[in-house]
Amino acid sequence: MMLSAIASLLITTATAAAAVPADCWQMRKRGHETEARRCFNQLTQAGDEAVRAEGFWGLEQWDNANEQFRLAIRSADSEPTYKVRWGILLHERFNDREAVDLFREALAKDPSNVDAYVGLAIVSSDSFDGRASFYLGKALSLDPQRAETHELLANVALENDDRELAAAEADKAIALENDALDAMAVHAAVELINERSPDVWINKITAINPHYGEAYARIAHHLELHYRQQDAVTYYRKAIEAEPNFWVGHSALGIGLMRMGQQEEAQKELELSYSNSYRDAATVNSLRLLDSYKNYVTFRDDAMVLTLRKTEADLLRPYLQDEVGAILSVYNQKYAMKLPRPVQVEVYPDHEDFAVRTMGMPGLGALGVTFGEVVAMDSPSARRPGDFNWGATLWHEMSHVYVLTATKNHVPRWFTEGLAVHEEGERSPEWANRATPDVLIAIRDKKLLPVLRLDRGFVYPEYPSQVVVSYFQASGICDFIKSRWGEGKLLEMIHSYANLQTTQQVIEHDLGLNPEEFDRQFLIWIDKKYGFEASHFNEWQEQIKLLATASRDKQLDVVIRQGPAVLALYPEYVGEGSVYQLLAETFRAKADNKSEKEILAAYEKMGGQDPGMLKRLATLEDSTGDKTGSIETLKRVNYIYPVKDSDLHLELGDLLYEKKDYDHSVREYVAAVASNPVDKAGVEFRLAKAYLAAGHRSEAEDSVLAALEIAPGYVPAQKLLLELHQPPEK
Amino acid sequence: MRAHRRGALLVLLFTLWSVGVPRTFAATYYIIVAGLGGEPEYEQRFTASAKDAEKAFKGSADNAHTYLLTGNDATASRFKDALNTVAQSAKPEDDLVLLLIGHGSFDGAEYKFNLVGPDITGGEIAEMCNRISSRRQLIVDTSSASGGAVQVLERPGRAVVTSTKAGSEKNATVFARYWVQALQDPDADTDKSNSISGLEAFIYASKKTVAFYDSQKRLATEHAVFDDIGSGQPVREADGRQGALLASITLLRLDNNQRVVNDPAKRALFTKKEDLEQKIDSLKYQKAAMDPGDYKKKLTALLLDLAKVQQELDR
Repeated sequence: MMLSAIASLLITTATAAAAVPADCWQMRKRGHETEARRCFNQLTQAGDEAVRAEGFWGLEQWDNANEQFRLAIRSADSEPTYKVRWGILLHERFNDREAVDLFREALAKDPSNVDAYVGLAIVSSDSFDGRASFYLGKALSLDPQRAETHELLANVALENDDRELAAAEADKAIALENDALDAMAVHAAVELINERSPDVWINKITAINPHYGEAYARIAHHLELHYRQQDAVTYYRKAIEAEPNFWVGHSALGIGLMRMGQQEEAQKELELSYSNSYRDAATVNSLRLLDSYKNYVTFRDDAMVLTLRKTEADLLRPYLQDEVGAILSVYNQKYAMKLPRPVQVEVYPDHEDFAVRTMGMPGLGALGVTFGEVVAMDSPSARRPGDFNWGATLWHEMSHVYVLTATKNHVPRWFTEGLAVHEEGERSPEWANRATPDVLIAIRDKKLLPVLRLDRGFVYPEYPSQVVVSYFQASGICDFIKSRWGEGKLLEMIHSYANLQTTQQVIEHDLGLNPEEFDRQFLIWIDKKYGFEASHFNEWQEQIKLLATASRDKQLDVVIRQGPAVLALYPEYVGEGSVYQLLAETFRAKADNKSEKEILAAYEKMGGQDPGMLKRLATLEDSTGDKTGSIETLKRVNYIYPVKDSDLHLELGDLLYEKKDYDHSVREYVAAVASNPVDKAGVEFRLAKAYLAAGHRSEAEDSVLAALEIAPGYVPAQKLLLELHQPPEK
Repeated sequence: MRAHRRGALLVLLFTLWSVGVPRTFAATYYIIVAGLGGEPEYEQRFTASAKDAEKAFKGSADNAHTYLLTGNDATASRFKDALNTVAQSAKPEDDLVLLLIGHGSFDGAEYKFNLVGPDITGGEIAEMCNRISSRRQLIVDTSSASGGAVQVLERPGRAVVTSTKAGSEKNATVFARYWVQALQDPDADTDKSNSISGLEAFIYASKKTVAFYDSQKRLATEHAVFDDIGSGQPVREADGRQGALLASITLLRLDNNQRVVNDPAKRALFTKKEDLEQKIDSLKYQKAAMDPGDYKKKLTALLLDLAKVQQELDR
């Protein structure tokens, strides 16, 4: 609660007041709530606006507190500390933007204002923007004897999974203030994460304040960040049990329950929080999302619970069910285990809904997220065509489910993320992680992190692309381990983590190397794979610009002549404006179908995901009689953008029907029907034929009736209906 | 050719156009104008689309009268000449289809279709079309900003289709490409009646336009609309109020079912077919209130009867 800031506030303002803010806050911190409220009430009668503000704040009269702070700072020579305190109030009331402005204004007036730096660190820490350590460093350099700074440093260290540093900083805070409750909470969290009893620390906390819900909530927060969702829920429950009016705790519990798929109780907790004026973005958006669940439909079987938006359930359900089934089959064998309960997969066509599911989690939420046995992910319709491969995402997230289950959530972020990305490539070479320009730059500039510090790249990135680079590095490490020690070693590592070994111990015991040597060998491996591309990255950038210009100017021969050399500099680049794309367009302009097909096939093999380019490849394959190739290519497109494209499903359905793969052609025609095609009657008719060929007579009749209901005069469908109603031959 | 059916809500409206015995076909007058491209690429694209449309219309029926204006012929005066010619020939029972392909502009008050030389305003087009006695008219304006022309073009008995929902959508459009494609793609005949109605072409072109912007990863800068009741409130899809007239206008015939209608030997069968089709329409209208099993049973029976009648007709 920034008691030091309050203390400094009092030096200038306490003279007229019987009560002083620091005393009131201290009473609350120690659980003397009745006395604290009396004290705050007294403050509201003070002559000084800033003191009155503290009183209203303590009484949770936010608007009055806000108004008093506004009055307190209107004079040009008002204390910078007023702005800091007002900023903290605004931060607590969900207005970080203005809070940060106030901290900066305070610093402009008083560059050595420790509290302002601490305020900035609090906001940064909550938003995981990576600057918290910087601000805390500043605060520490100005005043190393501030317990709160050490508490925050302990907190940030544990978010980074630096347990030793977290404990050390917590100790420093406690040495400075023997009632540093948040530092004690960090200690308790460290114990729990290390699978030890937190009782010693919990007892110390409750001895000071048995109703301090914040301590339990902090513990829960750290458990969440260590993938311990169920344990986090337990501690959020303890938080509100200790302090029933701890509304932020009710909200966090609600969100935690949502993540565990327990929507009913989640709704109650979130509504309780909301109706008691705790209405931060996470609470409001989570309630909105819960409300929108009426637009979703859930399918259950023994292995999975699948939740889809009603509008796209008919289209996506068959694909997702088949894929989850395939994943379970492969992973059960690979990880030598079965999941104890059905996995729950939620698919969100509105990215904002999905974002709500990941709120408050750092370094997550790009495409999918896993909470225990619950997987939430974007629907392909939430993304631009080509931006997202739902199949790869599902394999990725399901790997988390297995790894988290196998290790009972005792796994560092880098390993489970790295393994999940590695699994994408194991499922399909085209889905393997590619070195993006950001990754090549990081390799070139030697920005890869030592394995023992790799988690930091996920939680507190030091540069904008570090999360992406960290995913790449983590998966590269798993690829490296597989190539050097074999795939089985990764399973051994999972078991070691399950036995609570640290990354250092795992690397030493399972791989027989010390971490420094491991890093050295990994970098050699990376250099062999990507050294050439990284060292020629600048040259590639220059060359591809020239190639794009030549393409734009229709200098087709120049593109064809120079394209292959540019491609050789960086063949993994399959993004927009790639050499593959420029060459394919050029060959098409020259009507050179053979070369166009070859370059598109290379693009596909390298993991290119533009649906337009892949569909063009399928057309070229089909036109040259390569029906199997065309089918495989269109199947790949299905993993990228199966939505809003009835033609894709029709084309694939026709090819499969031609190949007498009737069951799969049925799936494609069903998808085409669900895609609201222009010619719905025509598609229903094709579906009817496929059903009949697959031996599903009753479904065939339903489909032909659907076709004729739309178009009663549709002669081929009429003939099929008559055929279906012919008496059986004797 | 009888009117098309377009879902339960439109069934009652349809009957206005299809009461009694099958009507014999009247003539259809098609005027296709490819406006000023401004750049060779657009010039080429507009002309090609206009020629493709003309080819499709010409092959549609013996009594199709087509007028095509492209390149330097696409002037306001030649356009007005064509409209005058049709005004002199068309009878009230004949249909008029005017297809405009090109660029348009809208200054907040007045819409103009860009032509070689002086442009023509929406008001001028409306006034010239008003002189044509055809009771059923279809104006398809696929130009940019064409949404700004809806109010001035609309009137009862005239369906107006525009590629943009407002005059403020000023970027070059792709709707024309897909409107013409609808005339060439049998899939556009969604009710399998061997003809393409105005509504079928609209739905086809609208969906393809949306898919185009999706596939190009671009924000759609055109949103096609139509108004066929002269309401001043164009819509993006047929509903209980709008769509009946557009559905009843046959843009293109894909076979020779006219001959069947006029064959006395098959007249009885055709009447039976008509009767069954009306019963199916009526049953579909009652679907929501029926037990699903009962509905399916009755629908199957009627469809089987219809299929058998069609078999007889096809012999």
